Amino acid sequence: MEEYNSGDEVAFNADEASISVKECIEGVIGGTDYNQSKVNQWTASIVEHSLTHLVKQGRPFKYIVNCAIMQKSGAGLHTANSCYWDTATDGSCTVRWENRTMYCVVSVFAVAVAL
Amino acid sequence: MDYYETEEDSALVSSDFKTAVEGVVGGNVYQHSRVKQWNSSVIEQCLSQLNKLGKPFKYIVNCIIMQKTGAGLQTACACFWDNSTDGCCAVKWENESMHCIVNVFGMAI
Repeated sequence: MEEYNSGDEVAFNADEASISVKECIEGVIGGTDYNQSKVNQWTASIVEHSLTHLVKQGRPFKYIVNCAIMQKSGAGLHTANSCYWDTATDGSCTVRWENRTMYCVVSVFAVAVAL
Repeated sequence: MDYYETEEDSALVSSDFKTAVEGVVGGNVYQHSRVKQWNSSVIEQCLSQLNKLGKPFKYIVNCIIMQKTGAGLQTACACFWDNSTDGCCAVKWENESMHCIVNVFGMAI
């Protein structure tokens, strides 16, 4: 297993993750319109790139990245999460992004690994 | 240590979630004013069912309720964890006016 950074930060840094995820989203779907044939590929790229960035930080966490892309058509969408974990070390962040034709919601969950 | 994703566990847990969703939104029409409450109820029930299993796991439950208007919705997830002990399951439910997708992730402590 890779070595983890031994730093003072044991808790999940949601702000940093948020920024990193926003960049991933922009990189994949920034400037594109909703396209049914490509959306599968987009969600896969977004979760893959986000996960890679998070893992590169080398912190002792397990990660789950969830992405939903919805076409803008006036439909209602509601999403919610609930977590049963250790609130001192685990955390999550949710990034909402939109353009003219679609919404994108990415949630990142980080669960500390006992070393 | 108990593993979360034996096929038996997954099937057992999946049907419990479907029952939870059915119990909360079954027979209802999509209503913007109530969807927040529905979402919370579904999640709460799923999480308490998981806790009842009494296994040494941390859980994340994610629920999406979307009105049916013909719009496209795509969701995906990627996980960085221990494949031998951790797992997930997705439950899809729908009626004439809405879709409901529940994702459950379990990570061994």
